[in-house]
Amino acid sequence: MSVNLLLVTDREMEKWSEGGFPARTLRSDADLREAFHEPAQSRRPVIWIAHHASQLSPLADQVPLLRPNHRLLLLGETKGVERDLLQVIFRIVVAPGTGMHILPAEELREVLAAPHRDELFVGGVVDHANRLVVLFRGTLEPVVVTFGWFERRNPTPRPDFANFEVTDYGQTVRLGEYEATADVILYVHDTEYRRRAKERELKHDPSFGAALRRLRLLRAVRRDDFPGISEKQIARLERGESTRPHPRTLASIAERLGVDPAEIETY
Amino acid sequence: MPFTLPLPAEWSDQEWKVKIFGDERNEEPHATIIRKAQRWRISLRTGEFLDRTPPSGDVPAGLVEWIWKRRRTLRNRWNEMYPENPVFSQEDRP
Repeated sequence: MSVNLLLVTDREMEKWSEGGFPARTLRSDADLREAFHEPAQSRRPVIWIAHHASQLSPLADQVPLLRPNHRLLLLGETKGVERDLLQVIFRIVVAPGTGMHILPAEELREVLAAPHRDELFVGGVVDHANRLVVLFRGTLEPVVVTFGWFERRNPTPRPDFANFEVTDYGQTVRLGEYEATADVILYVHDTEYRRRAKERELKHDPSFGAALRRLRLLRAVRRDDFPGISEKQIARLERGESTRPHPRTLASIAERLGVDPAEIETY
Repeated sequence: MPFTLPLPAEWSDQEWKVKIFGDERNEEPHATIIRKAQRWRISLRTGEFLDRTPPSGDVPAGLVEWIWKRRRTLRNRWNEMYPENPVFSQEDRP
C-alpha cells in the first residue's frame, strides 16, 4: 500500500533521513503545521514518525484537530494526557508502553522503507482480557488475531502469550518458542493479501481441489476428519477427479474448515 | 519448534537466515530464506523458488547450492513439523 511518510526530526531521527529513507523531513514547527494542513491526496494514509510526543506539540492548537487518514508511529514511550491528546489528533497511534512491543529502530527503519511495508509487522500488543493479539503493519493498519487462531492446530510448542515479540524485520510473530509468519497470518486474515500472494506463486493451481487442499492443510484437518464425508471423496475433490460437490456436501466441508462455502476457492 | 538452519559466517554475517517456521502456509513444503525484510520460499521437493517476487536472482547462487546440499536435514525437519503434509506425500498418490 502506498503511503506518505513524514519524519519529524530531532538529533536521533536525523540519522533516519540520511541514506535515502523515503520520507519527507519536517524540521520546524512551521513544517509540521504545513504538513498537517495539506489537503489529503486521495485517501492515502499519512504516517508521521517521531521520537518524542513533545515534538508534535505544535499540532495541539490546530483546527480541526483530527485528521482521519493520519497515523503516528512514536519511538519513545508516552502515557497519560500526552497519549490521550495524540489519540485525538491521529486515527492510529503506535507507541511503546502499556504492553506494546515494537521492532528495534534499525529494523523499523527497514520495514517502513520497504515497498511491501503492508506485508510486514512493526509491532503489536497482546490483549489478555479479550484473548486477542493486535498486530500493526508497516502502514500501521491493525490486524486482530484471536488466541484461538494461534492455538487452532494445537501446535508444539504452545503459543505463550505472555512472551510476545515481532522479529525478523517484521516477518515473524513469536509467542515464547512458538513462531508464526506474517505471511500465514495475513493470508488467512486479509483476502486482498491472499489474492496477491497467490498471484506471486510461480506454479499456482487455481482449481477448486487445489484451493480445498491448501485450506485443509492450513487448518490442519485430515482428510478423514470431515463428518459424514468419506476420506476418498475429499481426496477425489482435491485431485479434481470429482466435479463440484453437492451444495450440502460443500456446506459441510466449509463448516468443518471454518469458512463460508464461497470462500474456499479464495485459498 | 521452528527450525533455523545454522549458516556459515560467510552468509550469517550478511544477515541471511534459513528457517522452517512452526506455523506457516504449508502447501507446498518449503524452507524460507530471509534477509532483512525480504523472504524467498524454496521448495523442498524440487529446489525451485515458489514465488515470482522478490526475484530469486537476489539470493546468491552459492547460498542456494549450500542450502540444497542440506535438503535431507530440511526435509526431515519439515516432516517432523508437518506430519500431515510430508515432503513426499503418500496421500498424493492415486
